[in-house]
Amino acid sequence: MHRALTLSTALILALGVATPAAIDAQTKDDTIVYALQSDIATWDPPNDVLREAIILGYHVFDHLAARDVKTGKVGPNLATSWKALDDTTWEVKLRQGVKFHDGTPFGAKDVKATFERVLDPKNKLTARGNHAKIKSVEAVDDSTVRFKTDGPYPLFVERMTAQVMQSAKVIAEKGHDWMQENPVGTGPYKLVKWSRKQEHLLVRNDDYWGPKPHFKYVRIRIIPEQATQIAELLSGGVDVIKAVPPDQMDVINKSGSSRTASSPILRTAMLQLDQAGRGGQNPFQDRRVRQAANLAVDIDGVIKYVLNGLGDRVATGVNPMAFGWDPSLKPYTQDLARAKKLLAEAGFPNGVDITFHEGPPVVEPATQQTNDAIVSDLTKAGFRVKRNYTGDNTVFVARVKENKASPMFNWSWGYYSIFDADAILYDVFKCGETWSYYCNKELDDLIHAGRSSLDPKKRAEIYVKAQKLLFDDAAYLFKWGLRGVWGISNRIEYAAPRDEIDRMFLATPRKK
Amino acid sequence: MRRYITRQLVQLVVVIIGISLLAFSILHVIGDPVLLLLPQNAGKEEYERYNKILGLDQPVYVQYWKFVSRAVVGDFGKSWYTSTPAFSLVLERMPPTLYLTFAGLGAAMLIALPLGILAALKRHSFVDTLCTMLAVAGQAVPIFWLGIMLIIVFAVRLKALPASGYGTWQHFLMPAFSLGTFLAPITMRLVRSGVIEVMNMEYIKTARAKGVAERMVVIKHAFRNACIPVITVVGLQFGQLLGGAIVTETVFAWPGVATLTVESIRNQDFPVVQCAVVLLALVIVTVNLIVDVIVGLIDPRIRVGG
Repeated sequence: MHRALTLSTALILALGVATPAAIDAQTKDDTIVYALQSDIATWDPPNDVLREAIILGYHVFDHLAARDVKTGKVGPNLATSWKALDDTTWEVKLRQGVKFHDGTPFGAKDVKATFERVLDPKNKLTARGNHAKIKSVEAVDDSTVRFKTDGPYPLFVERMTAQVMQSAKVIAEKGHDWMQENPVGTGPYKLVKWSRKQEHLLVRNDDYWGPKPHFKYVRIRIIPEQATQIAELLSGGVDVIKAVPPDQMDVINKSGSSRTASSPILRTAMLQLDQAGRGGQNPFQDRRVRQAANLAVDIDGVIKYVLNGLGDRVATGVNPMAFGWDPSLKPYTQDLARAKKLLAEAGFPNGVDITFHEGPPVVEPATQQTNDAIVSDLTKAGFRVKRNYTGDNTVFVARVKENKASPMFNWSWGYYSIFDADAILYDVFKCGETWSYYCNKELDDLIHAGRSSLDPKKRAEIYVKAQKLLFDDAAYLFKWGLRGVWGISNRIEYAAPRDEIDRMFLATPRKK
Repeated sequence: MRRYITRQLVQLVVVIIGISLLAFSILHVIGDPVLLLLPQNAGKEEYERYNKILGLDQPVYVQYWKFVSRAVVGDFGKSWYTSTPAFSLVLERMPPTLYLTFAGLGAAMLIALPLGILAALKRHSFVDTLCTMLAVAGQAVPIFWLGIMLIIVFAVRLKALPASGYGTWQHFLMPAFSLGTFLAPITMRLVRSGVIEVMNMEYIKTARAKGVAERMVVIKHAFRNACIPVITVVGLQFGQLLGGAIVTETVFAWPGVATLTVESIRNQDFPVVQCAVVLLALVIVTVNLIVDVIVGLIDPRIRVGG
């Protein structure tokens, strides 16, 4: 009999030991719940590459500049104004009367300490690459900071939205290890409790310098499974979820308890073609073959029928939301006859064999389905496509890195959240860059010219030229700008953010 | 008995050494971790530096020796992603997984024992067929599907239970049931065949002849003996149950060690994976040892022979 006893004891133990651990001090009305698919590694945003870290960072920290979710324009935040004194000096005026969560006032010393910590190679912070153009930071007085840059640095203002301001005192006295779990910011919320991979609880910072958030508490729950996130949204356990798959939108919208909202996001999808010959000789080194591929596919149809309209056709890799985008450049439209003719001219009158390396739908929704449609169009024009699928994104990315994705692979680029043409041209189109399978000296010169000028008008002209070049040369098979889909509870009012940075401090209860 | 346990312990040590070798080597086979760890724009210099920091420039046997000598005292190094000690990261996430696994075990027993006995006693009847059907269905249903269905019914429709998360006893019900469904069928069938076999034994006839009530015959005499194979199999299935926990934890956003392990494998976070593999293996080996001892205690033929 004691065996049965052992079993029941184990059961009782299992249920009994796990007594309620959650502290339910907050009520439903003053709490908003936000779901993330995976947790952050650390509460020290410059030490984390993930988008989740940027999002959480926005709640507890402030940045020198911030993007207005409605207009998309970068405006003042902890900095009240900025100007370029000369080609390599930026001067920034700081907001006064701002306090960190520990009560110390915010000032020029904190900006200096923050950037110096990030820029010091010894600290090995992942954010260093973002700011490598900054040579030195100087505190002129308590509310003025000067940045010296290595050459002209047109992206300076954009990059100010990507660096949280940390406290000089904390950096000096508490140090790196302590900062990994204890964020001290000036932001609208303070961290109360972090249960790793499970939940974050934030409480409103009542001394906040800016507009006070409506909800007193923010709970951020880590829910890895998408279906579970949707179930939580429908059952009222969660208020905001992101990355809703297109085929689940109906389920949410018909539930009566929640709705979806979509927004274009700063990410462009394309099929990269190995023009540079990174994987050795291949048909796509011939411009006519690349043009034929672009002409073969009915991208508008794919957007409309496969993606339910959740995509914005682009003529090149440059996203409509990025600075420098040229609206007058019209994308390729399907023309099978011309595609076949070009292929024949290139020496493939009987069609051509192509291997297509496909990655998993991690950042690009419905990759599989859109690839199916694209491959079937390519086949019509005479491309005999052999598909090679890699299910693990890490492995897929490594293959791309190691030249093994030639001659064609699906790829999308998120610009590191910098709304500027340079943020894709440099990384994905420049000779010799890790993610670039394209190489064209003429384009490289334009890229270089674009990042060496502080004059927006001149830069815009340069990028118009660059896009024309990419289009004429059919650098890759160009697809679309992505749209993000959010699921939002009907009890709250919340706008889908175009920079993919959710801000719970902007949410309010929905008027009945 | 002492010799029996000693023998089991020696086997345990061999198994642990094997596991440590496996844990150490597996990830090295997959690819160059430094390449995956570094930011995209890192140069050769940075590569060399990381290689050195992580000790990957040393000969493999030196790396293994360092790994083992530290692991023995619970030092698996720091996680490459979070910079916290891997050991504390894994240890922190261990209890939720163990609770879940035992709860799943409990749920499986609650389903399997009564149904198994019932099926045996009402052999070839409608009840028996129904139990067989349930067992087949339970075996065939994927855990993640069942989990999501439970969520849709009990959380979304009925709003009776929290859809996911961890903390109260209500949070245990759905995960434990879906995990239990995984183990219940095989156990149910074993109990059934065990009880059927035992019911034909002479001592059952004797018990009946003595005038023992049928209920007592079944519970005290038949079930007790039918239990031996069940305990053995449950012990062996414990590892499978931990495997099932990966899926269950993912579906129910359960903050356990199984999801941590999978995530760390994806991130190629060596120290955490190694630590988790070793600790989980230790748990499984310990459970198996306990089962062996229990079975040995019950059945003298096992501890003396072999």
